[in-house]
Amino acid sequence: MSKLGNIPVQAKSEKKRTNPLARVFDELIQFCQSRSMFMLHYCTGCGAIELPPAMTSRFDMERLGIQPMVTPRQADILLVTGYVSVKTLKRVILTYEQMQSPKYVIGICSCTVNGGMYWQSYATAKVLNEYLPVDVYIAGCMPRPEAVIMGLRRLMSNIENGKGNAWKDYYERYDYYLGNQQHLFGDDWQTPVDVIGEAKFYDLEGEETYGEHTRTLEQHQEPLEAAVMRVKL
Amino acid sequence: MNCDEINVWLDTLLEEINEIKVTRKSDRRVRVDVDASSLPALLELLKGKASYVHLSAISCVDWPDDEEFELVYHCWSYEAKSLLSAHTRIPRNSSEEFARYVSVYDIYKPAGFFERDIYEMFGIYFESSPFMEKFILTEWNGPPPMRKDFDAEAYVNETFNWAEYNPDWLQEITEEGGGIAIRPEDVRL
Repeated sequence: MSKLGNIPVQAKSEKKRTNPLARVFDELIQFCQSRSMFMLHYCTGCGAIELPPAMTSRFDMERLGIQPMVTPRQADILLVTGYVSVKTLKRVILTYEQMQSPKYVIGICSCTVNGGMYWQSYATAKVLNEYLPVDVYIAGCMPRPEAVIMGLRRLMSNIENGKGNAWKDYYERYDYYLGNQQHLFGDDWQTPVDVIGEAKFYDLEGEETYGEHTRTLEQHQEPLEAAVMRVKL
Repeated sequence: MNCDEINVWLDTLLEEINEIKVTRKSDRRVRVDVDASSLPALLELLKGKASYVHLSAISCVDWPDDEEFELVYHCWSYEAKSLLSAHTRIPRNSSEEFARYVSVYDIYKPAGFFERDIYEMFGIYFESSPFMEKFILTEWNGPPPMRKDFDAEAYVNETFNWAEYNPDWLQEITEEGGGIAIRPEDVRL
């Protein structure tokens, strides 16, 4: 028994998989997963303007099995469209950590790759994959809907071939991502999600899950309290 | 009274104030340069007597060579159908943490919003303005970033890393026929 927050959870059993059909089922699951994607578009920048034509009848993403979803907890893909300011990055990380695994991040536009036209700006984060594990970058300023769809198809083929594993990297190298986040937000940065607890739950603790930055987090971490519900009479 | 008459009347009125330079740019644009000490009085007069009821913005210009900030108050009149911009200059106070000036929140309520923004971006503290806490740059602890002596490029190079230009994963894409279309050595500047 391990613990996820305060809730005891049953850890995965240690025994090796012996069923010869297990791989077949894995492939089937991957195939199905890649064809049922719900996308949360976090429209931070101008790239968002290319999404409505990509989603609606002109280019029609839905024929690929990709649909927009309104809440992070029911979405598979986090689409970050455009520059991410330091202030927005906090919200993007909070959103990402709320999503359920397996989860994928796509960075659209040059700004998420290397700052783009905001390379000189004091307020924008430059390289998105220092803070979040990005699966696919779609470069361009801005990429046309064809390019967006091509990027999504690449993500689909990655998932189908079992290569879409960036979300595991977030747990395995949490110390690296946390360190970059602390560099921008200060040492007292914490999110409501217990990422280390989740890493234990998914059996994804790596050597780099812990490090000096997670120790800094432990020093500053304040226990989260449940919001009190009051009824006004 | 039509709007042309108001404008003529305003010009005569403004000429009577001391330490003021009025330049009429066109029928609908007036530029007024005024001493920092008499700017609140001018705004009071403009709002109370001359129908300039709308303060649409306060802009700030940094003049590091003159050691001064220039504040521009843009006031609109709906009756005279014209824009008056009142320019004033205040000392930059580089040795201290921020420059100081007086708030015009008591004359124009929207000024509180602009003053809070200028305090954050240029570090000019407005005395008696009601909201002086952080506004947009809530994550920012550095110097006021819009001042000309703040070197944004040096700050960026110090704070952020850059993406690799030739990462391994790009080679896979290049083999498939994608990749960088125009290499840096091919760029004509």
